[in-house]
This record gives sequence, C-alpha cells and structure tokens, in this order.
Amino acid sequence: MTGTISKLVTVILLMSVCACGDNSARQGGLSFPVADSVPAGEAVKLSDEAVADIVQNIASPVEIAAILQSMEVPFSAEYLAPTQGADRLTTNFQKAVMLGIYGADLGYLNMYEKTGNSVDVLSTIKRLADGLRVGQYFDFETLKRLSVSKSNLDSLLFISVNSYNQIDEYLRDNNRGSISALMIAGVWIEGQYLASQVALGNHDEVLRDRIGEQKIILGDLLMLLRPYRESSAEYTSLYNMMETIAGTYRDVRITYRLGEPETVEQDGRLVMVQHEESIVEMSDDQLAEIAAISKDVRTKLIYGK
Amino acid sequence: MANKMKSRFVIISIALLLLPSMMQGQPATDDLVSSCVLTAGDNTTYLKDFRVQLPAAAANAATPVYKANMYLMKNMKYRFSVCDAPGSKGELTITIYDQGKQLISSFNKSTGKKYGSIDFICNKTGLYTLWYDFMNGEQGSGVGVVCMIK
Repeated sequence: MTGTISKLVTVILLMSVCACGDNSARQGGLSFPVADSVPAGEAVKLSDEAVADIVQNIASPVEIAAILQSMEVPFSAEYLAPTQGADRLTTNFQKAVMLGIYGADLGYLNMYEKTGNSVDVLSTIKRLADGLRVGQYFDFETLKRLSVSKSNLDSLLFISVNSYNQIDEYLRDNNRGSISALMIAGVWIEGQYLASQVALGNHDEVLRDRIGEQKIILGDLLMLLRPYRESSAEYTSLYNMMETIAGTYRDVRITYRLGEPETVEQDGRLVMVQHEESIVEMSDDQLAEIAAISKDVRTKLIYGK
Repeated sequence: MANKMKSRFVIISIALLLLPSMMQGQPATDDLVSSCVLTAGDNTTYLKDFRVQLPAAAANAATPVYKANMYLMKNMKYRFSVCDAPGSKGELTITIYDQGKQLISSFNKSTGKKYGSIDFICNKTGLYTLWYDFMNGEQGSGVGVVCMIK
C-alpha cells in the first residue's frame, strides 16, 4: 500500500516535472550543437540498429547496489568518486565520462537511501549535464527536493534513472553517440569498481558471478567505443584501458547448463522461471587482478593519472 | 505586394502562437511511462522504458514489431509491463526471446489471454531480445517498462 502511494506520488511529481520543468532547450531555445571532438565522418558509425542492439542495460548501477543490499554490505562513502575538481573538467570527453561515474554513484546513494549525501553529487551532475547541453533532461530542483526531504525513494530512483535514460536516448538520436558511449563507459567502470572492491572483502557468489559475467558485456562495450577510438588521444587511451580490463577476463570461463523454462500464473501475472543457467568460473587471483585493473582505470579517469 | 506580405506575416504569427500549444497537446509519453511504472506494482525499481509506435500491418505482410536488445542478469527478477497510450487502436504485447528462441509472451495466442505484465526470473546472464507488437497487427502506441523486482 505504501509502495502504491509512493508510486502515485511519483506519477504526480513526474507530471509536474513535465509541466513545470525548464523546457527552453527542448522547445527550441537558442542553443547550438556542441562539438564533441569527433570530426564528422571520421568515426565509422555504427548503424542505429547495431547501437540499439548493444546499449540497453549495459550498466545498471541500481542492480549492482541491489546485490550489495541483499548481501547486507553496509554503505561506504569511500567508494564514491570525489566531486571536488569536477568544475575543472574542460573537455566533453571528461564531462561525459564523469557524468556516467557520478550517475552510478547516485544510484548507489539512492538505493541505500543516503539521499542527504546525494545533493552534492546531484549538483555536480547538473553542472556536467549543462556543460554537455543535456541538462534539460535532469530536473535538479525536483531531485534535490526529494533527496533533502527523504520522502519518496521510488520517485527519486525513477526520476534519476529516467533522466539518464533520456539523456542517453537524446544523445544517440542527435548523432552524439560518442558522448553517449562515454557516459555508458563511465557508469560501467564505476559499477565495476564498486562491485569488485566489495567482492574483495566479502565472499559472495552472486556478486562474484556478476563481476565474472562482465566478460560478456565488456565485448559489447568495446564495440560501442570502437568507432570513436581514433577520434582523440583521450578516446584512444580509454579504449586501450578498457581493452586492458578485457584482457584480465581472458581466462574467466562462462559455461551454460541447459534447462527448460517453467511458466506459472501467479496473482494474475505470468511468471517464468528460467532453468537454463550461466556458470562463471573465476579464481580469487583473477578477481584480484580484475579489481586492481578496474580500480587503476577508474583512478586514471577521475584523477587523470 | 504589401497585402501578400501582410497575409504571410499574419499566417506566420498565428503559426508561431499556436506552435507551443500544439507541442503541449502532443501525447505526453512521459506521463504514460510514469503511470505504467505505477502498474508494475510494489517492490519494483524502474530500469528502462521503451516507447512503441507502430503502423497497422499491411495486407499479407508481417506484423510490425519494435525490437530492443537488453542485457538481463542472472539472479535478478524482472517485471515487463506494457501500457497502451490513450486512443491506441491496438493492444501492446511483449515477447522475450533468447537467441531466437521464444521464452515468454504477454499474449497467449492459444487461449487468447493477454497479461498486463510478465515476470522473468533470470538464471542466465545474456542479451535478450524484447519484441513489442500490437495484437492482430493493429496500429497503436504504448510503452513497455522494465523493472527490477526487489
């Protein structure tokens, strides 16, 4: 019942956001496309279909945070990226990657209901989004109000995740796939850092599986970044770093056990339990190496060294 | 000449005045997304939405389908909800495929029963294909929402 009321409030809030938000940019205010450092025609663009094929749900910070919660791992602010210095980011490359990193942190904060701590992250995200001319999809005032009041977690999660989805969609629809790819890479690396650091200190098969399974996802993430890798030195460096992470997965094995799915009707809903299973084989040493390299890449992206 | 200029000015002025209200009057898919999230029920967290608008199937042609590929993770429970836009002729359905093999659909063709949402308890991490289409190949618009069940 409480959840339903929360979600009702979410609907009302979202409607008010749509009605009252700053729509100037969407409705043709004087804004000009930002050069994203990828010369037209230089990048071998992926077809729209191929991009759609690989970008959905590559990195979902709320799913990782949900696993940590189920493990009863306490929240730690030490895992968060520092927001100091975000004002000094000058290139769209840096802004896009950090927008992704802070997006993952926001998901982690919100899932743990540390909403009071998230205002600083929200402000930083807003500045970066504005810098990339996608700030119109991020309703800072509503998110800030929800964070401070701690009143409606469902609304907060919905609006923040939805904002990132909309930013991603807008960027891809407007031939700014290079920026979208950077944002997704940022979300992924922060989620990977968080999951692997927690896994080092807490043995949990579900979390280990999640880290090992990134071998599957990394291939697609690299495919997403590949068309732009020669567009700038920053992009080349990121691509090479992501390839290094992929290299640490070389000996991680993923096998599949076949099984027929089972479908039942429960409370008017159709429920399918999948019995086919993916099985990850990853040693402690492999996990340690993945965690170390992932941390190293994240540090380079945040601190530039 | 002056009259022509004047009438053109009036037409442009009217168009500019009407444009914002016309934009406001467009179907607000965000409202539909948020109300569809509500139908997903308690203990769910929104992950993704897909806005679907498809034409009617042409005679002797395949039903138009909106396809999206999405990573689903082992040990996670997902809820896929579908909601029709007001005025949509067709009713939106979702079918989940794993490497071309149909896993589950919100529309059971043999019984004719349609579900507003389906739950998928995932045990295999991988890229799944979501097919959204409208029953009987009718024209329609709606949204599909993917939530994680807590």
